[in-house]
Formats: sequence, structure tokens, C-alpha cells
Amino acid sequence: MTSTAQTPDAADQDDVVALLMRQHGDIRNLFDEVERTTGDDRRDAFRRLVRLLAVHETAEQEVVHPFARQLFDGGQGVVADRLAEEKHAKQALAQLDAMDPDSPGFLPGLRHLRTDVMEHARAEERYEFAQLRRRADPERLAALAKAVKAAEATAPTHPHPAVQGAAANMAAGPFAALMDRTKDAVRKAMGKDG
Amino acid sequence: MTFNPLEQRGIPLDRQLRNWRELAVEPVDPDRSDPYTRCRIITMNGIEVEAILFSHQFARHCQDPEVKRKLAEVRYIEAQQQKAVNWLLPGVSSVLETTISYEQVAVDLTAWVARAEPDPYLKQAYQFGVLEDFDHLYRYANLYEMIEHRKAEEIVDQLTEVMPGRPTPLHHRHPVDNVREPYDRRQTDPLSKLHALTVMSAEQQTMNFYMNVGPTYMEPIARKLYQEIGLIEEEHVTHYESLVDPGETWWEQLVHHEYNECYLYHSFMEQESDRRVKAIWELHLNMELEHLHTACDLMRRHDGRDPAEVVAPQLPNVLTFEPNKQYLRELIADQLDLTTLGTGYVREAHERFERMQQQLNGDGPAPSDEVMQRHQEMFGRDYRVQTEGEHPAFATGHWN
Ligand SMILES: [Fe+2]
Ligand SMILES: [Fe+2]
Ligand SMILES: [Fe+2]
Ligand SMILES: [Fe+2]
Ligand SMILES: [Fe+2]
Ligand SMILES: [Fe+2]
Repeated sequence: MTSTAQTPDAADQDDVVALLMRQHGDIRNLFDEVERTTGDDRRDAFRRLVRLLAVHETAEQEVVHPFARQLFDGGQGVVADRLAEEKHAKQALAQLDAMDPDSPGFLPGLRHLRTDVMEHARAEERYEFAQLRRRADPERLAALAKAVKAAEATAPTHPHPAVQGAAANMAAGPFAALMDRTKDAVRKAMGKDG
Repeated sequence: MTFNPLEQRGIPLDRQLRNWRELAVEPVDPDRSDPYTRCRIITMNGIEVEAILFSHQFARHCQDPEVKRKLAEVRYIEAQQQKAVNWLLPGVSSVLETTISYEQVAVDLTAWVARAEPDPYLKQAYQFGVLEDFDHLYRYANLYEMIEHRKAEEIVDQLTEVMPGRPTPLHHRHPVDNVREPYDRRQTDPLSKLHALTVMSAEQQTMNFYMNVGPTYMEPIARKLYQEIGLIEEEHVTHYESLVDPGETWWEQLVHHEYNECYLYHSFMEQESDRRVKAIWELHLNMELEHLHTACDLMRRHDGRDPAEVVAPQLPNVLTFEPNKQYLRELIADQLDLTTLGTGYVREAHERFERMQQQLNGDGPAPSDEVMQRHQEMFGRDYRVQTEGEHPAFATGHWN
């Protein structure tokens, strides 16, 4: 037996990369769930997907990208590419959010977003997270993991179904609010622990 | 429908070259494509890699510059075919996802071959081997859930069950016990030659894949698991390659390779669900017919023999990717505790096996068991896909 055996919590806290990679898996699982359900079940799964995406991407933007940007040669460029992908996905998500999940255009839009989000996640794992593990010291990775966990704790576990509204409204609606709330929590955690 | 590839002509060799635009194939969808389409892609990649490596070995043993040039010409086309086939795999898949598909290939390809194999000794070799790759699938699936929080059923899609086979730590046998007896090239059914070549090529590709991608993982447990299973794939290549009669001449072997490529592209063309991929199988079949024709010419000229003496007069039944769940469950119930001794099989752990086991597993658990321990710690259970009920054997408490 090696000395690396850990409880899941300890493993997550010790390694922000492992934590984010598992969230990538959870995001894909939720995409599956939205695709495979209908009606209220789909609405509920989609709310959870929106929530997780908001929390995950905000935590990356507040915690991981700024750190990675100055961590390695070319970090600026890598992070700029990831931010552009995140911005693009955010817009696509806002559009989906304004749609009725049972309307005919919803699933094609969802599949499209799914592909974009997956490509984005793989790019993070390969070009950004690999550098984190390579260059950041363990305490730093633990502190980052803690901040990401704080972000996770902000969003309600079971949000209300979205109120339907005009697309323009929705773009700045629940998704944006969720991101703001997450941002605040992360900043607080970073101020305390970072 | 009878199809004698010896009598068909395909695309002339000098018209087989593809430009960059033609080689830039669109990959299949990582999540929504037929799992067996991915299995056919992985199989044909292994077949093309073997075509290339065999041709290189042949060239290195060949004195005749004209033959060397002919081999180089055909081999370049094989190399383009390998690119067109393997580049159908999507870039967003993780290495572990591709690995799980590789083990699904090993399970459902080998099980199908075991069912179709007419020779009892050869059949036993496939039955023995398939229970090991079956367990590899289980171990990698558990690693996958740990690292990526995803379930392997999203990859294998209920077509293949994921549960314990012969426990992976017990696959480490003394190397001399991995060498089997070859078939007799003069008496064996031509189908048996195709089976041996197919499974050997698939295992060889798996071995090459694991030995190259294993160190790209950052997680220590993943790095270790690829080392362990990579070494078992080495055993599998030894096991399957030793089934082939080494008395076959180079010319004869070349004919078998090209004939087998015709057989497999034809088989996969018949069953392919993805229209775009099917068109590639069809195109490649038409290329292989001409490779076969070229190989037959070489054999007639340099071996002084008629290729029709060594291959089947028509293509055998199509080799098919399909679920083999009940067959595998029967094998698990009957053959889980087998190991090898010399060229045969025994149920008791003999001295040479025990010594090898002690040397590898004696100082702490094998990585394949460590994966299960860690998974248990994280999730409080192991990961399985059992669509057909309870596990058929109670030998599943190996790592407890
Ligand atoms: Fe991101
Ligand atoms: Fe991410
Ligand atoms: Fe080929
Ligand atoms: Fe295997
Ligand atoms: Fe194998
Ligand atoms: Fe060929």
C-alpha cells in the first residue's frame, strides 16, 4: 500500500485539479439527464445543470484562471482562449435558458452546447490544469480547492424552476445572478484563506 | 452471398493515394455514436498497424530490392488507411474513455471469435484470454468513475456487462507459460488463421496503446494501472501470436494479412450503422482487394505456390460485433480459476505460477486491486453494469 490513500474529502481539498475534473464529469452527467428526461424532470435537471455550470465556470474565472495566467509561459494566451470559450458558452446557455425545454429547438441547442462545453473542458484539462499540477505547490492547490468548494456551497441545491421571460431579460437573469452570488462567496473565501 | 476476394479486382494501386483533404476525416460523435462503431474503428486500426509493422519486418528480411519497393508502395497505402481509420476517433475523448472501448473490443471480439472457432484447442485459447480482458474492463471502469465521475455504461452502453472476470492480479503468469502450441498450417481451417491474426493484431495494438499513453496520466494510480495491464497485454500478445504456425513463409503470411483485411472490411461494411464510416470500410475493401492481388502475385513468383492452396475459396461468415453476455457468463462460471502450465491449462496454482505471483504481488497490492480499494473508499461500493442479473461466480471477493 502506498501512502497516497485518502478519503474523498481530503483528496478533493488537496487537489483542485481532481475536483474540477470530477465536476466536468458531473456536468456531462447532467447534460445526459436533461437529454433523457421530459417535462418537469427535464426542467429540474436543466436547472441543476445551469447551477453547476454557473458555479463551476465562476470558480474557474475567479480562482483558477487568474492563478494559471501568471503561472507559466504562455499562460496568458491559454487563459484568454478558455475565457473566450466560457463567454461563448455562457451566451448559448442564456439562449437555452430562455426556451421551453420541451420546445423543438431546445434539444439541438443543448447538444450543440454540450459539444462546446466538452471541448472546453478537455482543453482546460490538457493545456491549463496539467500546468497547475506541474508547477503549483501542494498548499497552493489546496487553497484553490478550498475556494472552489466555497463556490459550490453558495448555490442552492434545489433551485426553483425558472420563470419564463424575454430572452434579453434572461441573459441577465437567474444565471447571471447565480454567477454574481458565486463570485461574492469565492472572493470572501479567498480573502480569508488565500 | 459468396464472395471470393481472390477473384475480385479493386482500385488499381497507383490510384489509391489520398491527399490531405481526403485524409481529413470527420470524427464520430464521442457520446452519441454506436459503441460498436467505435469498436470497429479500434479493431481496424489494430489491423492496419499490424499490416504496417509486418510489412516493415518483411522488408528487413528481404534481399530483393524490387520486392522491397513493392512492399514500400503498398505499405504507404496501409499507413494512409491507418490514419483515415484511427482519426475517426474523437479528440475530446479522454485516454481512459478510449481505453474502455479498447477493452470492450477485446471482450466482444474475442468472445465472438471463441464462439466461431472450429478448432477446440484454439477455441480454448480465446476463452481463456477473454475472461482477463473482461476483468480489465471492470478495473478501468472503476478508475474512470474515480477520476472523471462518469460511468462506463455511457461508453459501452449496456451492450457489454462490466463486472469481475478472472481477477487481474492473477493474470501475471511466468512468461514461459504464455507460449501456446501453433496450429498446423497444412491442416487447419483457413478461418482459424484469420481468427488468430485478428485477435493477435487487436491485442498488439492494445499493448502498444497502453505502453504509450500510460505515462500521460498525472494520477499515480492511473499510471500504475496502465503499467500492470500493459504487462498483461504483453502476455496476451505472446499467447495469441504463438497460435500461428511459424512454418508459414513470408509470402504466405503476406497473403493471409491482405486476405484478412479484405475479410474484416467486408464484414464491417455489412454491419456498419454509421453511413459515413461504412463508406470508409467499402473504400478500404476495394483497396485491399488489390493489395491481396499483389501479394498473391508475389507468392506465386517467389514461393512457386498457388495462394488458393492456403486461403479459403470464399470469405467466411461476417465477423460481427454483438453482445456476448450469456456466453461470457457461462465462461465465468466454468473457467474463472484456470491458469496455464506449459502449453496447456490447469486449475491449480502450480509452483512456477506461485513464484511469479510472489515476485510481483508479494510486496503490497497490485495496482488493479489498489484501484478497487480506493474506489471503495470514495463511493462505498464498486462500479458494475450487470444487465443480466447476479454475478455468475462467487469468486468476486478477491480484493476484500
Ligand atoms: Fe471552464
Ligand atoms: Fe472547467
Ligand atoms: Fe490495409
Ligand atoms: Fe485487456
Ligand atoms: Fe488483452
Ligand atoms: Fe492491405
